[in-house]
Amino acid sequence: MTTEALAPPRKMRSGEVAVLLLLPIALINAIGFILPVLNLARFSFNKVSIGGGIENVFTWENWLGLLADRFYLELIFNSVWISLAITLTTLILSYPIALYLHRSSGPWRTFLTVLVISPLLTSAVVRTYGWIAILIDDGPVVSAIRALGLPAPSLMFNIKGVFIGLTEILMPYMILALMAGFGRLDPRVEEAARTLGATPARTFRKVILPLTLPGIALGCLLCFVLAVSSFITPKLMGGGRVFLLATEIYDQAIVTLNWPLASTLSILVLIVFGAALWAYSAVLRRLD
Amino acid sequence: MTGLKHAAGISLTALSLSFAANAAMADNIVLSAYSGIFQENYVAAVVEPFMKANPDITVEFYGMPNSAQMLGTLRAQKSSPQIDVMIMDVSVAKAATDEGLFAPMDETVSKHIADLYPQARVEGVNAVGVTFDNLVLLYNTDKVKDVPTSWKALWDKQYAGQVSIPAVPDIQGTTFTIISDKMAGGTNYMESVDAGIKLLEELAPNVQTWEPRPDVYQPISSGTAAIGIGWNARAQVYSNLSDGKLGVVLPEEGSGFQINVIGLVQDAPASESAKKFIDYALSPEAQAAFTEKMYYAPTNAKAAPLIPEAAIKRTAAGVMDKMIAINWLDVAKIRDSITEQWRRRVIPLSR
Repeated sequence: MTTEALAPPRKMRSGEVAVLLLLPIALINAIGFILPVLNLARFSFNKVSIGGGIENVFTWENWLGLLADRFYLELIFNSVWISLAITLTTLILSYPIALYLHRSSGPWRTFLTVLVISPLLTSAVVRTYGWIAILIDDGPVVSAIRALGLPAPSLMFNIKGVFIGLTEILMPYMILALMAGFGRLDPRVEEAARTLGATPARTFRKVILPLTLPGIALGCLLCFVLAVSSFITPKLMGGGRVFLLATEIYDQAIVTLNWPLASTLSILVLIVFGAALWAYSAVLRRLD
Repeated sequence: MTGLKHAAGISLTALSLSFAANAAMADNIVLSAYSGIFQENYVAAVVEPFMKANPDITVEFYGMPNSAQMLGTLRAQKSSPQIDVMIMDVSVAKAATDEGLFAPMDETVSKHIADLYPQARVEGVNAVGVTFDNLVLLYNTDKVKDVPTSWKALWDKQYAGQVSIPAVPDIQGTTFTIISDKMAGGTNYMESVDAGIKLLEELAPNVQTWEPRPDVYQPISSGTAAIGIGWNARAQVYSNLSDGKLGVVLPEEGSGFQINVIGLVQDAPASESAKKFIDYALSPEAQAAFTEKMYYAPTNAKAAPLIPEAAIKRTAAGVMDKMIAINWLDVAKIRDSITEQWRRRVIPLSR
């Protein structure tokens, strides 16, 4: 027997352990995500023949066509601003709820948290159909507005419907993200501010808001990304009047069979996401 | 559950292939077509009788929601096909043919091809018509009291905000553009559909949704919408199921056909049995059985005499002269331009 065999097993360096632990997920990601995205990028340079056949060539046609077509430029612009507006509305509606939840405690807090999460237990499709039943022209909401003698707007099958539906569907995500980001908000800091004579409004502006900014940034990033990529709700509630990136990708891929254009639009969505991530990290850097 | 069964069916086929590539083993054929009520009725009217007549062949029905997904599946399986026979829309079949996904289709596959109506044999597509469908007017019988006879009912102001139209790029919208163009005095849709688009601009303010979901039949049956357009076969089936709520009319101005074709997948694992199935699917008996069950008009000219009068009356088979000849391969060339005109001129007027 050699001394070597008796020696304790060689310790792995932490770098090696990290590589070993990361390897499986990196592999899965490479096969399940990176490869398909690269494939998609390649597809965006293919040519589609009349009727939907795909010619395996290399052309910039899809990209140039996209940038030259006003319809698509408007589509991109609309998708981004509608998603931003929905994100902002979701934030304004969710922030008080998240703050209240953060401050509550015990079984009451558990109960409220379950209440907030419960919409996620129902599929977005079901909730969207629910909204259609509520907001449709002869539905309860419009009838109630009419009963008050006010001019009733059409709330369904247009941009308003998409706006209402998506805001409700995204609120649980926003609330959860906000709560996750509220860790730094210590009630003692608020108490200190109040003791030192700050008004509630001033306390909110100078203490609470800055401390909750990481949560706000996270929630906004999450909701923006989900809003841009949401497809079912705009499809069901937009009535074919609301043209967004996600619905257009569906139409091009499934109805018109223009896979190269659908791929080009998909890569464009990834670019929009990249910009959102960049903005998010810029905000975080400034906070630090 | 059925999805699991299909997946199992496909993997079984693959398995049997990998064990032995001889013809004796390959008697399990996979047929792919639309899922849902098409699948239910096609299995009952055509697949089961075929299996009864050919006990040595098993047909697995692999349903998919639309032709685009079928094309996608064919593309993905190009190097080792798992599907033998495909039923899909003719314009998508053209793309599949162009990409070499369908084997040639002629009278060596089925002698019945000689008996098909000329519209069922499309130059440049390696597949032949297996069902004819046509656009119809749908209405809710509670909300629409006088049975409409003309497409013009859609323009009636009393249905403002109650009209359901599946817009382009859906081919129901495309077909409706061509019908509108003819109603407005247009003579050649390939040259211009401008007259039709102008007429549609007047319809736009009446429209509740351009994107009826899950399809156009449910909202009209339930009364969410009052009137709309859709395909005849499905409309007839849903009308039977709707307790009389869904009314279906083939308007006096006529309509246009949608064609589903049947094709043999290139390098299909069970080609010989698959050819046998295609031959059966095109036979007058199978065509008649499916028409009776689901009201698609038959593509085999010899099928009509075998179909009960009550069923044939609910198809366009008796009024072939009223149908606008639509060449879907030509229409593919103007589809983008029609879509653009809808999006720029028609849909914005309904906001």
